[in-house]
Amino acid sequence: MSGRIFTGDELTRDLTVECDVCVIGSGAGGAWTAHELVKQGKTVVMLEEGGYHTRREFDMTEPRAFQNLYQELGNRAADDQSITILQGRSVGGGTTVNWCSSFRTPERILKVWRERHGIDTLSAATLTPHWEAVEQRLRIATWPQEMMNANNKVLWEGLGALGYERGLIRRNVNNCLNLGYCGLGCPVDAKQSMLVTVIPDAVEQGLTVYANTSARVLDWDGRRVTAVRAEVIDDATRKPTGVKVVVKPKLTVVSGGAINSPGLLMRSQLLSEGRVGEKTWFHPVLMMMGLFEHEVNAFHGAPQSVYSHHFIERGPGKMGYFLEVPPVQPMLASTVLTGTGPETLELMAKLKHLNVMLAIHVDGLLPDEEGGTVRLRDGAHSRYAIKYGFTPAHWEAFRSSCKEMAKLQFAAGAKQVRSLHLSPVTLDSAAEVDKLDDAKWEAMQVRVATAHQMGGCRMGKDPATSVVDPHLKYHSLDNLFVVDGSVFPTSLGVNPQETIFGIARWAATHIGQAV
Amino acid sequence: MKMYLPPPGSKPSRRGVLKKGLLGGALLALGGGAFLFTRKSVEVEPPADGLKVLTAREFAVLTSLSYRLLPRREGFPTVELVQVARGCDRILTLVDPTALTETKQLLVLLENALPNFLFGRRAATFTTMSTDDQDAVLSEWQHSRITVRRSGFTALRSLVMAAYFSSDTTWPGLGYPGPQPGIYDPNAPVWKGNGAERPLGNGTFLPPPAPAAVDGGTP
Repeated sequence: MSGRIFTGDELTRDLTVECDVCVIGSGAGGAWTAHELVKQGKTVVMLEEGGYHTRREFDMTEPRAFQNLYQELGNRAADDQSITILQGRSVGGGTTVNWCSSFRTPERILKVWRERHGIDTLSAATLTPHWEAVEQRLRIATWPQEMMNANNKVLWEGLGALGYERGLIRRNVNNCLNLGYCGLGCPVDAKQSMLVTVIPDAVEQGLTVYANTSARVLDWDGRRVTAVRAEVIDDATRKPTGVKVVVKPKLTVVSGGAINSPGLLMRSQLLSEGRVGEKTWFHPVLMMMGLFEHEVNAFHGAPQSVYSHHFIERGPGKMGYFLEVPPVQPMLASTVLTGTGPETLELMAKLKHLNVMLAIHVDGLLPDEEGGTVRLRDGAHSRYAIKYGFTPAHWEAFRSSCKEMAKLQFAAGAKQVRSLHLSPVTLDSAAEVDKLDDAKWEAMQVRVATAHQMGGCRMGKDPATSVVDPHLKYHSLDNLFVVDGSVFPTSLGVNPQETIFGIARWAATHIGQAV
Repeated sequence: MKMYLPPPGSKPSRRGVLKKGLLGGALLALGGGAFLFTRKSVEVEPPADGLKVLTAREFAVLTSLSYRLLPRREGFPTVELVQVARGCDRILTLVDPTALTETKQLLVLLENALPNFLFGRRAATFTTMSTDDQDAVLSEWQHSRITVRRSGFTALRSLVMAAYFSSDTTWPGLGYPGPQPGIYDPNAPVWKGNGAERPLGNGTFLPPPAPAAVDGGTP
């Protein structure tokens, strides 16, 4: 039985649909859940707020990609702009625009979840068969060192020179041409995103996808969700068309990702006494920019192929971090860089010679952390009130990571290194890294970004301290599950997509049994 | 219900960039209605195809802002050529209504003579100031001790930069060659199921063939 993908332009009349399961969101969690459920013979309807954009539109230009494929055109941010939030919004969700890095969940994180949050359902042994299946389907494999681009080579060589731990990243690609535009939608479908793999696989087996269809509220009565009320969004204007879609499922799976999943629950008055939207983890990212004599051309080549977990555990009371690099393409680079006027253009003129390094901080593991909070915003449609609580441990780690990144960049041959403070610190040698101690380490004085959003619907055994149970069922409802990164009680310390894939594939078994 | 606790030293934020505590509210009031705002703005010719969401005055502020954030530099197109302020207007048609409202408030705040007078003793609107004074105002916003001004600066800067560097006319100045040619296929098939055969491609998956039966193994 073949299913179908409907897009907003085809949805011109109000519609009511009945099904076994309604999956809300088509990213890493929703896609794998829907895929496994249709394999079980369930009738599944998937709602996706974003559009169905395919390689026919993936022309590798930033304006088109940010408009079509990112939440709020790439401008999602904390209320005070202290964190820029990059998050996907289209069929395939974040997997359509991420940089392909694939890691299994670290054992130490599963241990924390087990010991501190009572999550006795998830272990490496439980998840391994799911990871193996995912890795086979998505062709996850180590990216060959000889294909490494110069931007990653800076990190690789810096790590080698300083004797730090380093590794090659496994990527979910097939026949990858090493172009470098993973973040703008792969123009040859080499990236094994949900868009080109698991979702079409599921459609072949009967999945119905409604793209440009934004779930606005869950109707519920007693302990059961009775309907999902959605509205069709005009893909060009991003405004509601007025057409309504009502889905009446036996069971509902919310997979909108951290931020949007809590948003939907809050609009539905499913608040878990205020815990929904709390303890949102961002893997806060600090960046350092290295200027090299030779061309780095960080806009081309597989964006991420090297990592280091050398600083992932820094001792009691300290926040760990891991190191990777991003692609550096013009529009995104210009918005992330600090400075004005001639200074900006001077830097941008050196784009070919710039290396950017990322330190990704592992939040949610220290006792005093509150993380981020997502709340509804008056008068908004797709925007939320988002705050993030930086602690002294954050600032200590940020300072440390920026110094280490500078050392690595100099070790790899950088002529100059610059921080992304509003008043940037410029270093001319590794001997000067302590100048970073004098920089202003506070919100809105230094650029912080996130590409990994987690938490907000955290799982746990105790209904008084969590939102979903260790099987991902919403505590107080019998037919509502949340399956995405929002259920993580902490951040991960690795790029999150494979963890979400594995957990979704695992959860689909008992979700199917609950229908 | 456990309440969110802001980090030490920060002010509670309820509704976006501008509405941050008393001082933010006061800044808004200054931006919204004080008498010095009645001072004239520079008039700027609107784009030939009109404005979608900005007023003429807001367009003028963005035009002045883009001149200061992106001064002329050899090898780079001018802001007039790229039509940066028009680009901002078009971007703003796509943002959430609350983000549009806040952007407009920020532009009013930047333009308003009263806060500019209070903070910098410059009794002129932003668009009518000398370029040196405009640079000084922007620097004050960028380095202000008041978070709302730093946040506002960052938001407006990002908007202007996105509008400018979204243009491929900037690429030569960057030394950016653009995407590799001959890859993108504007006629690539779009498959939506409904009984149609799914085209083979990099995303399709054929399970590895089962090992061939070995003859002679059976008794």
